[in-house]
Amino acid sequence: MERDEFTLVRDMLRAFATRFRTGSADDVKAQTRADAQRALDDLGLTGLRRTSPPAATVQECALLAEEHGRQPLTTSLLGTALLAPELLRLLDDGERADPVHGDRPTVALAGDLRFPDPDAVGLVAWDCDGADTALFVHAEGRVTEHELGAPAPTADLLRGVRRASAEGRPVGRLTPGAHRSWQAYALVVVASELVGAARSFVGQSVDYARERQQYGQPIGSFQAVQHQLADATVLVEACTSAARYAAWCLDSETPDRALTAARVAKAEVNSSAVEAVYAGMQVFGGIAQTWEHVAHLYLRRVLVGATALATTADLLTVLAAPEATR
Amino acid sequence: MTDTPLDFGDPEDLERLRHDFRAWLVDHPLPERPADEPLPVFLHRWHRQLHSGGWVGLDVPEQYGGRGLTALHQVTVSDELGARGVPGVPRIGYLAHALLRFGSEEQRRRLLPRMLSGDDVWCQGFSEPGAGSDLAGMSTYAERHPEGHYIVNGQKLWTSYAQYSGLCLLLARTDRAAPAHTSISTFVLPLDRPGVTVRPLRAANGDDEFCELFLDDVRLEESERIGAEGDGWPLAMTTVAYERNALDTGHLSKYGLLIERLRRAAHERRGTLPDGLLSDIGRCAVDYQVLVAHARRRTAERLAGQSAGPESSVDKLLMTRAEQRLYETALKVFPEELYGEGGEVLGDYFYARAASVYGGTSQIQRNIIAKRLLGLPADRRA
Repeated sequence: MERDEFTLVRDMLRAFATRFRTGSADDVKAQTRADAQRALDDLGLTGLRRTSPPAATVQECALLAEEHGRQPLTTSLLGTALLAPELLRLLDDGERADPVHGDRPTVALAGDLRFPDPDAVGLVAWDCDGADTALFVHAEGRVTEHELGAPAPTADLLRGVRRASAEGRPVGRLTPGAHRSWQAYALVVVASELVGAARSFVGQSVDYARERQQYGQPIGSFQAVQHQLADATVLVEACTSAARYAAWCLDSETPDRALTAARVAKAEVNSSAVEAVYAGMQVFGGIAQTWEHVAHLYLRRVLVGATALATTADLLTVLAAPEATR
Repeated sequence: MTDTPLDFGDPEDLERLRHDFRAWLVDHPLPERPADEPLPVFLHRWHRQLHSGGWVGLDVPEQYGGRGLTALHQVTVSDELGARGVPGVPRIGYLAHALLRFGSEEQRRRLLPRMLSGDDVWCQGFSEPGAGSDLAGMSTYAERHPEGHYIVNGQKLWTSYAQYSGLCLLLARTDRAAPAHTSISTFVLPLDRPGVTVRPLRAANGDDEFCELFLDDVRLEESERIGAEGDGWPLAMTTVAYERNALDTGHLSKYGLLIERLRRAAHERRGTLPDGLLSDIGRCAVDYQVLVAHARRRTAERLAGQSAGPESSVDKLLMTRAEQRLYETALKVFPEELYGEGGEVLGDYFYARAASVYGGTSQIQRNIIAKRLLGLPADRRA
């Protein structure tokens, strides 16, 4: 996109997010979810990665995912606008068997949310608000379409997750290169949303530290609090650099290099986004331990997000292998 | 700048520079180091060799002996050297930058070309026994005499390789009464001047890199002052911010080589590796590649017109995290470094311990982030 065009899209998403942010866990209701999703759909973002060449770069999509992550939102930007359309686009470049039946797919993941091993069971449709079908990428690159079932429980109170049918209709198969690109892209987009959440929550805790008075002065004037926030800032910057660079690699480098960069980004985000949210919660003190406060919505998002697609243990094992053997 | 796309790619001329430098290195490899040659002497020979090819001071304007390119060009050269496991370009960039910014035209023309070529070897006289983190609390005093010259008395610490240096960039108070930030001045001190005593100090890794510098009634001329009286504090802050820029040092590619060594060692010993060590290695790889991504982001931000500021404290803390965790892990993968003679890894491990102290301690970096990046208020009780 042209820079002006991107800024416009980003600002539209920002305005949407400010308007539809969840103020508190009790505000999460079926009707508010549906209204928010409709408003997001009206922004028309599903076409960003649907065509070849795509209308938006991966870096632009990562920035939008980050923007979406900044507010506690129930909406599906990732599943239905950024992930499923890209998967269909990558299929077009490979072997496309059959058209997708649903109008509005999201992605299906194995029950533990990780990239599937060959005998993955208990599929779920992930980030499914507004979706009517789900696409599953099997370990060997085959892609199938699945029907949506009952809502599935998840610790992330904002993320829509439903059970998906065990049997799927074949849709096609990703080439090995497209499969790597797919994994890298999914890691980057998911990681970027978590970066946005961590950055925003740390920012809110910095604002709070400037205001909240104890011992007759703002708590942000105490060095113990300052150092905790400084450390959280370093972690957020590390996550930002890693995620942004990985996104750029997808736009500009080979799928192999992009996948390594994306794994690095997800590994950094898995631990550092959670750590940064912990720091912010500590600064908020008692109020952040309540149901009403948004803190646990952020914590839940990064906590579950850190297990999505690839856990820290998955990633560190792969990244510890010599480059020649990978 | 965090919410618009950045270009992480190398500009085309950097690729060309990299290519030219590689070609030059093939014909001009690192010389042999005789067993009895002290490291600084060896590094000085290497400095001159690199300079003969035009690979030192790339970011210094041509009229002062440089090539008039950018800091990125110099980083590219450092990076290439690091990737080959050979010593980098001597770390004079920050001194050159101080002279460029605060020196007179005459001083720049006289001092910079000789600094770049290695004709003059420089060290830095900033810290003191009583002024470490609180640099502004220095007590070395340069008393101005009516005839115009100064008489300097005091003591400096951590002046790296002073025993091999000819000149020292010296900070001293020129006013005892005024607040520190307006009363410090900078001088070029020739180390063979009467009244100067250099005493090497052995570091924890066994190297005698650090020195103490004793100054007893040392006479300095007015022409040996850099900038105006009172310019010393801003000069020191610029210099330290540059020195802190961990991403300009070519360390990165050196880490990369060690990590690949750790991975290969772990791969050969798979099945017998202690619990958790593979994860530690993976974590080191993540730290390192995050640092590479972070460095590229800083580069992209600079190319997009953003100048270096307090965010260099973030860079320093990330570099420290990566370096310290890497060498801790390396000692676990190569424990024989501990019960054997102790090789390069052990030496580098000790050096890594200093990463959270030199160039401003990690606590000072956190103070800078809290105050200057986050805008947190000062403690009123202080």
